[in-house]
Amino acid sequence: MNVGAMLFYILVFPGFLFLLTWMFFVFYFSRKVLAYIHKRVGPHFNGPAGTLQTVFDVFKLLTKESITPKSADPYLFNIIPIITPLVSSLPVILIPWTPLINNGHGILDTEYGVLGLVVLIGVEPFLLFLTGFGSNNKYSFLGGMRILAQMISMETPFFLAALAPALLFGTMNLYEIQSQNTYLTTLILLPGAVIFIIAMLGILEQPPFHIPDAEQEIVYGFYTEYSGTNYVLLKFAEFTEILVVSAAAVVLFFGGYRGVFFDSFWWLFLKIALLAVVMVAIRASNPRLRLDQMLKFCWSWLTPLAILNLVWVIFAKIYILGA
Amino acid sequence: MENIKNVLNKFDMEYVEDYKPTWIKAKLKNKDDLLKVIEALKKEGVKTCSTVSPTDFIDENRIEVNYFLEDLFNKKNVWLKVDLPRELENCEIYSITPLIPSADWHELEAYSTFGVKFKGHPNLRYFLISRDYYGKFPFRKDFDWIAHEQNLIQNINDITEEYFDEYEDYEQNKGHEGSRTVLNWGPTHPASGPIRLKVYTNGENVEKIEPDIGYVWRALENLAERKDFIGTIVAVERICFMDNPNPMICYSQAVEEIAGKEITEFAKYMRVILGETGRIASHLISLGGFFGTMGLHTFMMWCLDIREYFLDVLEDYSGARIATACVEPGGVRYPLNDYKAWFDGINKAIKKFEDTKDDIIDIFMKNPLMNTRAKDNGIFTLEDVAEYYLAGPIARASGAKIDVRIDEPYAAYDKLQMDYVTCENGDARDRLYIIFKELEQAMDLIKQAMVKIEEGIQAGEMDPKKDHLIKMPKRMPAGEAVSRVEWARGEMLMHLVTQEKATNPYRLKLKAPSVNHTMVLDKLLKGKTLSDIPLLYGSMYICQGDLDR
Repeated sequence: MNVGAMLFYILVFPGFLFLLTWMFFVFYFSRKVLAYIHKRVGPHFNGPAGTLQTVFDVFKLLTKESITPKSADPYLFNIIPIITPLVSSLPVILIPWTPLINNGHGILDTEYGVLGLVVLIGVEPFLLFLTGFGSNNKYSFLGGMRILAQMISMETPFFLAALAPALLFGTMNLYEIQSQNTYLTTLILLPGAVIFIIAMLGILEQPPFHIPDAEQEIVYGFYTEYSGTNYVLLKFAEFTEILVVSAAAVVLFFGGYRGVFFDSFWWLFLKIALLAVVMVAIRASNPRLRLDQMLKFCWSWLTPLAILNLVWVIFAKIYILGA
Repeated sequence: MENIKNVLNKFDMEYVEDYKPTWIKAKLKNKDDLLKVIEALKKEGVKTCSTVSPTDFIDENRIEVNYFLEDLFNKKNVWLKVDLPRELENCEIYSITPLIPSADWHELEAYSTFGVKFKGHPNLRYFLISRDYYGKFPFRKDFDWIAHEQNLIQNINDITEEYFDEYEDYEQNKGHEGSRTVLNWGPTHPASGPIRLKVYTNGENVEKIEPDIGYVWRALENLAERKDFIGTIVAVERICFMDNPNPMICYSQAVEEIAGKEITEFAKYMRVILGETGRIASHLISLGGFFGTMGLHTFMMWCLDIREYFLDVLEDYSGARIATACVEPGGVRYPLNDYKAWFDGINKAIKKFEDTKDDIIDIFMKNPLMNTRAKDNGIFTLEDVAEYYLAGPIARASGAKIDVRIDEPYAAYDKLQMDYVTCENGDARDRLYIIFKELEQAMDLIKQAMVKIEEGIQAGEMDPKKDHLIKMPKRMPAGEAVSRVEWARGEMLMHLVTQEKATNPYRLKLKAPSVNHTMVLDKLLKGKTLSDIPLLYGSMYICQGDLDR
């Protein structure tokens, strides 16, 4: 790998610039879709159909003062917003984004792709807990505790569901998984995909599991004390995580960038966008669960179902695919 | 009613007389008999206190305390008066709170504003008023508001300083003891509104709630005394902006009763339409807010969308959408020049609701996650309703058949078809369903009233251009009246006192349901989790406007 390509990967695609564009896009997109369901207009004035609104918002936040509260631990408080986006954008190298890069493999073509994804996604919540801890604020701390409880329980079904395609295709390489995917295997993996998406909502703190930053209960959870640049960085990490996790869902269960007539990044993008629409629709029609109800749902329904799903996948591998 | 009269006659009374079909008015001679009277009344079933209202007669050197006691289920009410000396040292009476818990905060309010000491009250303290009024009793007639206002800046600084002292006390001394802590839920909190709940928590579990109220105290009762009889409507309508016409109806009825006037049929039906439109506007916000407390804002947007059409109706009539000032003593304020166009607007609004109704039921009323959260959560039984006087929708959600519109019909409600709307379980979900059912009932009532008005006009009995207002006297005779309406959030009671040839009210007591609904928050939330606070608080439909007044 030469230096030029490496710089391109880091700075442009699938690195910084791409993630930034994605952030502007998904921010605008979810606002617009949500507004449509709310019977509102949404962003309207800046740019064509309000497209520049999110750009303005982000730059407005960047120019604002980042306040560090008197009672907070200044080092922890300020260093976490720098580490978090870096960690959350690490899984980007594992995902096969487009046939044009590295012959269609991910930038890092490894046998442990699924494992790497799950581990790198799983590190994130501990950093967010530290934001709550470092803020030294009651609401932030409660939010941090909630995020730990939610992650520890939600990662189990998340990992078990991600294991299903690896078991079915007998490999953990993400490129292998997506290229072996057919319509039949997609059907077989569908229960796993549903469990994965539900667990994904929990991991990403999306409704109905937006418990750690429940604003009616604990103001803004672990975000409460953050403002200005720090807040933008944390939001950037959140949107990056949304992108990475949805891309993982598409690669694992829906054939990644492979499409009907041609293979392209745009197929991947379309699938992610559809997933985002589903997420926004769930967000627009479901109230939040209580923490104990979420734990109960996760441990007494989702996790057993995820294990059953593995049994089903092995059964299907033997008797339907005839391995 | 005879039973209660007999009971009252056993004591040393100045008079015992009938007042309206459901009330008995009595005056106690000796204030020390009060507890015995209350005990005897309690045996007869009168075990709820609506409010406690002192009146300061400075010329006669006495303070008259009015107790409004109700038997909610048998509709037998007692209006009991006691005279107290006016001097601060002697101005005291036995507290009825140990016998009737619903009087708790009303007694505190009477103490804070009039200086009536209640002996034996479990926790007598200053309440509702801001710190600079402590010990000055602002609703007494000899309180000098102008002198008090001169120290405004100093007072505000004192309040701020005291607040910071209290804050440090909580943060540093009482702050964190293991997993126990005190959380502020409000007054600047995303879902609270201007109220502060001190939440004593152990981790996520709530151990105790202490409501701290008075953040929007505007002294409306005193404001009313400074305006003339018509000007007062803009004071009473500001009690809460969400259901705006009903307080004005309540006040106007009291004035009409003292003046001895009867309003026209047309004005009565107009009051029904305006009142129900106000109720719909309020209920739509309540519905949306219920889901808003669980982090779902879609429904609020939908409700606001529908509400716009009903606000259009108010705007077409009065020119204003929120503070309409559309009802005044003697009828309703404006003639209806083009009644057909106005009715078209109402029909359009109702159609807008009915078009959306199916979607609302499918998506929100049957929502499984809402069920998980709200079902069997925060249950009130019928005993709780009587003990704490939960009013209106909250009581009806528990199955109580209470509705002032039927119990003590006013305006034209006795000529319309309506029945009690109730649910059975009394949990948070039923408090949502009851609001939705009442919306449908309100629209039905509006339709009936429109038909009646149209019939009346066609038969030549009503003239929408002239009948709206009758002439009211400029100066009122001396007298007093109690008027009740079914407000969107429950019973609203106004006690109006006038003096001979007066141009402004001598005393206007406003009683609104949110006081009692906030009083029970501790009982409601004890042992629940932090996540239940916004949901259950939202399910009580508390409005700080009518809580503080």
